Amino acid sequence: MKTPLFRKGSAAALLVAFLLASAGAFVALKAATDRIVRGKQPGASIIYVPSGKFLKYATFGYRALAADLLYLWAIQYYSTPTIDDRFDHLDHIFAIINELDPRFQDPYEVGALIAVQEARDLRAAFAILDRGAANNPDQWVYPFNAGHVALMTVKDYPLAEKYFEQTMKIPGAPDFVERLRANAMFKKGDLETSWQTWLDIYKRAPDERTKRIASNHLYNVKATIDGKALEAAAAKYRDRFGRFPADLETLVRTGFASELPKDLDGNDYLYDAATGKARTVTSPWKR
Amino acid sequence: MKIAAIAGITFKEAKRDRVLYLLFFFAALGIVAARVLAVLTVGDRIKIIKDVGLASISLFGVLMAILIGTGLVYKEIDKKTIFTLLAKPLHRAEFILGKFLGLVLTLCVMTLAMTLIFLAIVYAHTLRIETPLLVAVGFIFLELVLITAVAVLFSCFSTPILSSLFTLAFYLIGHLSWGLELIIRKMRPGAGRTLVRGLYAFLPDLENFNFKTEVVHGLPIPAGIYLSSFLYGVCYTAFILGLAVLVFRRRDFI
Repeated sequence: MKTPLFRKGSAAALLVAFLLASAGAFVALKAATDRIVRGKQPGASIIYVPSGKFLKYATFGYRALAADLLYLWAIQYYSTPTIDDRFDHLDHIFAIINELDPRFQDPYEVGALIAVQEARDLRAAFAILDRGAANNPDQWVYPFNAGHVALMTVKDYPLAEKYFEQTMKIPGAPDFVERLRANAMFKKGDLETSWQTWLDIYKRAPDERTKRIASNHLYNVKATIDGKALEAAAAKYRDRFGRFPADLETLVRTGFASELPKDLDGNDYLYDAATGKARTVTSPWKR
Repeated sequence: MKIAAIAGITFKEAKRDRVLYLLFFFAALGIVAARVLAVLTVGDRIKIIKDVGLASISLFGVLMAILIGTGLVYKEIDKKTIFTLLAKPLHRAEFILGKFLGLVLTLCVMTLAMTLIFLAIVYAHTLRIETPLLVAVGFIFLELVLITAVAVLFSCFSTPILSSLFTLAFYLIGHLSWGLELIIRKMRPGAGRTLVRGLYAFLPDLENFNFKTEVVHGLPIPAGIYLSSFLYGVCYTAFILGLAVLVFRRRDFI
């Protein structure tokens, strides 16, 4: 005969069995549900994220924490290649993080890196780096990075010169920024200013390495200036005689050049009579 | 029969709760205010109306479930009315199930009322009844049922304030637990990963009931997910209710 205690015990066992069965069922169902691929609206979740200006009031004093969380999320989001249009709102997302915590340095650098390398969105890259520079006027790295992108990726040399000039004004900026600026000037075609800048760097060089770098660039700038002058003279000669001169001395003999320049090391330039171009005997970087 | 009687009394009790009407008022206000928010946007106004409307139904429904559900059992114990009830030939499981079903009925009525207002606002803009929205609302209701079970569970052994916090935490965990999947992918195989995998399987995944984005954007929803999400909700609710019965059976009121 069953006692009440026995009935109570069996009911409890039944209840525990029910709990185990239901737990097993929902765990299995969760796995089954996860296997079903649901349709996604790529980027839909972020289109309506309000700007940081409004969002910072909704974080109840936890602005830095909200920026951290949003940054962590952004890293995951932008490293998910299955979201095809994930870069559409790149600047918007990083603007929110920057607005929430303007002194949080990583998002500026990583955001710009994603914009340049992954999204190929240079406008967004400059926007992110400009915000970094505006919010952190003591950090030289943002105008420097912008200058580097302008110089190497966009090849917009006046823009690169502007950014490097901005970087040089920030205390703590490394010396090589001045050299990059001089290089940007050279590539822009401003040979006279470039020559003066490299000469100045050469005179103020604190060590032999810097002096050698400046000397190589001076060699290159002078060779470019001389090369252009010789090519112009050779072109005039061809206009008169219908062919390029056989050698550079002909230019002096016929009055197209007052004298033959030498390179910075005192060597004569090599001349190609077929093309009318002059070049140095060695590469500026292998002197 | 006894369960139905307790559910009926719980429904009547909930009907008299002013918090319910206050929340309903704000929910209705939220749904109507979606129209005003839509004016501020550039582009698809209907999307804003649908998003805000569905969010209002979900959010205020959860608040109703939490604020009323967490006091359901506690009030009976606090006012000593539980002695009268349990002195009768009534199983404790029947009491818990009656309380749960009473609140579910209340939430069902409230969800229906909110949905009617929502559909009316959408109809005023699109001039058609958008039945896919009912799918999203249906699964919001299923989520509310689960939240109600959790609120009842905590109400069995804790004060309403603590129960509210616990239930709210359950709700937040339920909507954030998908993040564990990302962590699992980045973890190296080992004990830590197994632990996180176990947590991921056991913690509630309320995103299984979230069809708001799909419905608003008109994305196709795989047919199989309706059934698996529904069964997941039912099984999880059954588990929580079983836990509530187990806890309530062991409670000593003296």
